[in-house]
Amino acid sequence: MSKTQTSQVQVKRFSKAFVVAHAINGIAFIGLYITALPMYTEFFDWLYPLLGGPEGARLAHRVLAVAFILPTFIFLIFDPKGFMNWMKELVTWKKRDLQFFSEFVKELFGFKSKHVKQTFFNAGEKINSILQIVCAILLIASGFTMWFPDVFPTALVQWGYFLHNVGFGLGFAVVLGHIYLSVIHKHSRPGFTGVITGKVPAEWAKSHYTEWYEEEVKKGNFPDLDDPKNKKNKGA
Amino acid sequence: MATEYVKYVDVTKCDGCRACMVACKNWNDLPAEPQDFLGTMQSHANVTADTWNVLTFVEHENSKGNLDYLFRHSSCFHCTDAACEKVCPENAISYTDKGMVVVDQDTCVGCGYCVQNCPFDVIQLKNYKDENGKEYRKAHKCTMCTDRLDEGLQPACVTTCHTGAMEFGEKDDVIRKAEKRVNEIKERYPNAMVYNPKGVGGTHTIYVLAEKPSVYGLPENPKVPTSAVLWKDYAQPIGKAMVGGVAMALAGAFVANKFFDKKNGGHEDNGGGNHE
Repeated sequence: MSKTQTSQVQVKRFSKAFVVAHAINGIAFIGLYITALPMYTEFFDWLYPLLGGPEGARLAHRVLAVAFILPTFIFLIFDPKGFMNWMKELVTWKKRDLQFFSEFVKELFGFKSKHVKQTFFNAGEKINSILQIVCAILLIASGFTMWFPDVFPTALVQWGYFLHNVGFGLGFAVVLGHIYLSVIHKHSRPGFTGVITGKVPAEWAKSHYTEWYEEEVKKGNFPDLDDPKNKKNKGA
Repeated sequence: MATEYVKYVDVTKCDGCRACMVACKNWNDLPAEPQDFLGTMQSHANVTADTWNVLTFVEHENSKGNLDYLFRHSSCFHCTDAACEKVCPENAISYTDKGMVVVDQDTCVGCGYCVQNCPFDVIQLKNYKDENGKEYRKAHKCTMCTDRLDEGLQPACVTTCHTGAMEFGEKDDVIRKAEKRVNEIKERYPNAMVYNPKGVGGTHTIYVLAEKPSVYGLPENPKVPTSAVLWKDYAQPIGKAMVGGVAMALAGAFVANKFFDKKNGGHEDNGGGNHE
C-alpha cells in the first residue's frame, strides 16, 4: 500500500494450511448462502432457475455443506501449532482487547484513532472467530437433523430449523463485517491479500499486531523495523 | 372469512365401511397404494401423499374391561393456526376463504418442512419424475375438496358417508351438535369428548371421539411447535433486521471514510500505520 520501502518488506503471517482452509471455508460459506437464500426469503426465488431448481439447490447445498466441514480438519491436521494458537488466543482476554473496541469504532468510521497493542489476532478478529465458530456449530449440527430427519426425533428436527435460521442470520451479519473490513476498508485491506498469499507488509503487521510482531522479531523471524538500517527510507 | 364451515365427524356413528376413502381417491384422482396386510382391518398405517384419508381401526379395552372397536375417519384437520402454513418457506401453503389449508403445487419446492412440523403427521411428500428423469417432490394432503366447496358442493367423503357419521356445516352449529352428541353417548362412552384442539386455534374437522384422543393415536394437546413460533416470528425477522443493521453501519462507515479522506486530502495511504 505504502510507497515507502519498509512497508514493501513482506512477512509471513498465515501458513499454507490456514490459507487453503480459509479459502475452502469462504467459498463453501458463500455457496451455502447462495443456495440457501431462496429458502430464507422468497425475495431470492429467482435464484432457483440458476441453481437447477429447488432440487439442484438442495444437492449443491449438501455438497457445499460437506466442504464447509472440511477446513477445520485441514487446519488442525496440517498446521496444528497455528490451530492451537488460534484456540488459545480466542480464550485469552485482557484489558487491551477491550480497549481495542473503542478505538476500532473510531477507526471504522474514519476518525483519528490509535493502535492498541494486539497479539496475532486482534480482539475484533477474535470476536469474529468466536461468532463464526458458534454459527458453524449451530449450522452444522442443525443441518444434520434437517438433512436426515428420519434418524432424529421429530422435536430435534423441529428445533434444527430454528437453530439453522438463527445461525443463518447471525453468520450473515458477522461475515458482512468480516468481508467489508478485509476487502473494502482501506486500513485493514492488507489482511485480504495476506489471507490469500499468506504474506503481509511488515510495517502493517507491526502496527496492527505489535505484540506478535515484536515476538517474532525476538525469535529472529521478522526484520526489526526500528533498526536504523531498516528505517532509512521511512517518510511521512 | 364470512361463515366458517367445518367437517363434523361423529366416530360413534361410523361403521368402518371405508366408502370415504374410496370417494376421496375417486374425486381427487389419487392412485391406489397397495399395502401388505397390517394385522388389522386398517388398510394403511397413516395418511400419505396419495391417500388423503384413512379409516383407522383401534381395538380398545374400555374401563369395564370390554372390547371397543373404535373407527375413525382420519385426514387433514385444517387447523386454524396451521403449523405447515407457518413454516412453509415459499408461502405455498395458504388458507382458503373458507379457512381450509391448501398447498399450491406450483410454488411448493418439496423441502418437507411442513411434514416435520405438522402436529398430526398428516402432510406428506410425493416423489415425481419428469420426462427427463429428473426427480422432484411436492407436498400433498387433503384439500377438504376445496374445488367442490367452491361449487357449493360438500366434501366427497361427507357426501358418500351412509351412516351420517360425517356432516359439513357452519362451525357454531357443528360445535353445538357435537356437544349435544357427547352428552347423549356419555353413558356408553364416559370418556367421550369433542376434539377441536385449542393449541392449533381449533380445527376445521371437529370430532366427537368415544375415547380420549390418545386412544386413537391423536395428540392430547397438539400445538404449533414452539420451535416453529420462535423460528418464524422471532429468529427470521430479527435475523433480517440484524443483517440490514450491519449493512447500514458498514455503508455508513464507507461513506464516513470517504468523507474524512477528502477532508484530509487523502494522504493517509499508509495502510493504517499511523500509530503515533
